[in-house]
Amino acid sequence: MNSNKPTAYNNRLGVKGWVYAGRYTFERYLYLGHRLSGLGLIAYMVLHIVETANRMRGEEAWAALMTLFASPLFRVIEYLLFAAAVFHAMNGVRLLLTELGFFLGKPREPVYPYSSSIKRHRPLTYIIMALAGLIIILGGSSLFFP
Amino acid sequence: MRETRLWSVHLLVIPIIVVLLGAHFAVMHYAPVFYGVSIEEARNFETMIERGRSVAQLVLYILLLAAALYHGLYGLRGILRELTLTPGLGKIVDTSIILLGLFIFALGAYVTWWTFSFKIGG
Repeated sequence: MNSNKPTAYNNRLGVKGWVYAGRYTFERYLYLGHRLSGLGLIAYMVLHIVETANRMRGEEAWAALMTLFASPLFRVIEYLLFAAAVFHAMNGVRLLLTELGFFLGKPREPVYPYSSSIKRHRPLTYIIMALAGLIIILGGSSLFFP
Repeated sequence: MRETRLWSVHLLVIPIIVVLLGAHFAVMHYAPVFYGVSIEEARNFETMIERGRSVAQLVLYILLLAAALYHGLYGLRGILRELTLTPGLGKIVDTSIILLGLFIFALGAYVTWWTFSFKIGG
């Protein structure tokens, strides 16, 4: 009996499928990055809300927390958070455009050499990612060298 | 149809998050660039309370909280529901995420309201 036989609830690759997709295209890495940054952001958001509740313990407790956040380690974490948010947002714009059918080109006859919608979309992908990289660099320079 | 609606809301909240989170970053993380004040000053207790006492901030922060929580937790649900889950386990995932979302929303909204109604010197 083949244990890999698909069933209604059988996701054969599970989490491994995030990185193992058979074809390692640029979009596949963006997909992985989008997931990881999304998980990081939601985990941070939950912690952030719990942490900001600290203000209810008074001014001194708040000041102690802000002193901790001003340390170099937390500055780096803050920057990573910013970078994750920018990447997630910019890649999200790309996904939204794809989802709504923009910049995919018109459907064509599958004649060799094949031109998939992914390939036609790729210049936009590069532009969006370059823009994300630029914002991340500028954000870093403003954060570390205000 | 239900899943389509949930997915559509997931997309519709994106502009809200982009605008309000952008503003949050500008105020809290990039105050020297956008407002010419130091980060320490922007995060000072009195400054934070003063900002939090405006109705606009109360409404916008609760809106951001709801939008970001929905977007994030819906994404988390999608990731978890992709795994090999029985229908029963799927329901447990859904219920847990709803409860977590409600708890975090209630906490965040309460803190925002607490800040809004804070009486300086009181």
